Amino acid sequence: MRLDLSGRGAALARHNTMLMLREPGPVISRLVQPLVLITLMRPLYLTAMHGSGGTIQVVTGMLVMFSLLALSIVGAGIFAERGWRTWDRLRATPARTTELLIGKAAPALALLIAQQAVVLGFGAAVFGLRVPDPWLLALAVGAWALALLSLGATLGAVARSQSELNVAYDIGGILLSAMGGALVPLAELPRWAHAIAPFSPGYWAMSALRGALTGQVAGTLRASAVLAAIALAAGALATWRVSRGWSRSRLM
Amino acid sequence: MHSECMTTGLVAAGLVKTYQGTRALDGFTLTVAPGEIVGLTGRNGAGKTTFVEVVTGLVRPDAGQVRICGVDALARPRAARALIGVSPQELALYPAATVAEHLRLFGALAGLRRAALRQAAADIAEQMQLTDVLAKPTGLLSGGQRKRTQAATAMITQRPLLLLDEPTVGADPDSRSSLLAVVKARAEAGAAVLYTTHYLPELAELGARTVIADKGRILDAA
Repeated sequence: MRLDLSGRGAALARHNTMLMLREPGPVISRLVQPLVLITLMRPLYLTAMHGSGGTIQVVTGMLVMFSLLALSIVGAGIFAERGWRTWDRLRATPARTTELLIGKAAPALALLIAQQAVVLGFGAAVFGLRVPDPWLLALAVGAWALALLSLGATLGAVARSQSELNVAYDIGGILLSAMGGALVPLAELPRWAHAIAPFSPGYWAMSALRGALTGQVAGTLRASAVLAAIALAAGALATWRVSRGWSRSRLM
Repeated sequence: MHSECMTTGLVAAGLVKTYQGTRALDGFTLTVAPGEIVGLTGRNGAGKTTFVEVVTGLVRPDAGQVRICGVDALARPRAARALIGVSPQELALYPAATVAEHLRLFGALAGLRRAALRQAAADIAEQMQLTDVLAKPTGLLSGGQRKRTQAATAMITQRPLLLLDEPTVGADPDSRSSLLAVVKARAEAGAAVLYTTHYLPELAELGARTVIADKGRILDAA
């Protein structure tokens, strides 16, 4: 099977990038908010954590929380196609399902990676965040971006309404961030929180990113592998659902 | 064009589709020859849209077969879709994308590239009287202009089978006239056209063979 990425896939990716940029509000918001909060909250984290660990915690914590909140951009992209009925219109063309999915996913993945790059770059440039191994960090960022993409697509594919989607993103984003130790370091949370933390993708994202920033290769690889597994599982569910479409007859 | 498209257009036989106990299609059989316009009419719920969805591969039937230019559409749905231009019953447009962007996207998905794509977009825009609104987002168009845009995305390439599902609902008389003229021209050029509608005068204007559907079956052909 040959994917026509130079033609159909590229046309879809361009089209979806254009759609995202036509309404840039959510993108700008998810890029700027973590930078503001990192700047304002860093002194608090430095004091609480007695040193440079505070910078890593505030940068990775805000990155994880706002990247979870950025799931709304990915999911809204899928959900909007359902509302406009355009997804089934695309399915009626000669394009393969994989081409449709790649065309839809590529701009969203680029956005999720860009968001992390901006936050980490800001941390490095403004607050002296050290990156001992850029490749290890790139692996953690890539694995987390893929997990986010798949989770966002799944929510966008299965939600029954926009308000249901909003609730899932807002409450889910905060809950998974907090559970994963993004807001308060896990060591400061009660014992029961430690037990449930690994059920949050945010926990594995924090582990991967913090591991990469402190040079812990084994820990980063293990956490990245878990994130990749989450991406695969959620991606399979999203792919199965969107490939069935939402034609009128399906809703009867 | 696929060689068999000169002799066979759409052949659908014995289609059955049941949703939660309701038979949307109940032995639906219909043939559209190359160069022929078949006007499919009938009450709401007669199975017209389900039939279009089955032919385009969006819905898989419980039984029956569909061939387009001799290609088994159920066994080779992607190959079949490459032979179809479809305009669904309900509007399926991106409100923030312009008419030109829609034409470029659907032209590219149909396999057109670069100069051929630009030329095809310009041609269909002119035929459908959309040239003046090419740069407008579809969210700002009138109902008739949106309908014409949707039909234009279906007809940007010369496909051997055209499926137009109530393409003129909500369209003004000018939009209707320009759309009917293009549909007639496509049939004269050899396309098999399936046109669903509730407006019988349109079928007369198209010179279509009228077929009536009811409860998932073809009742009568005039």
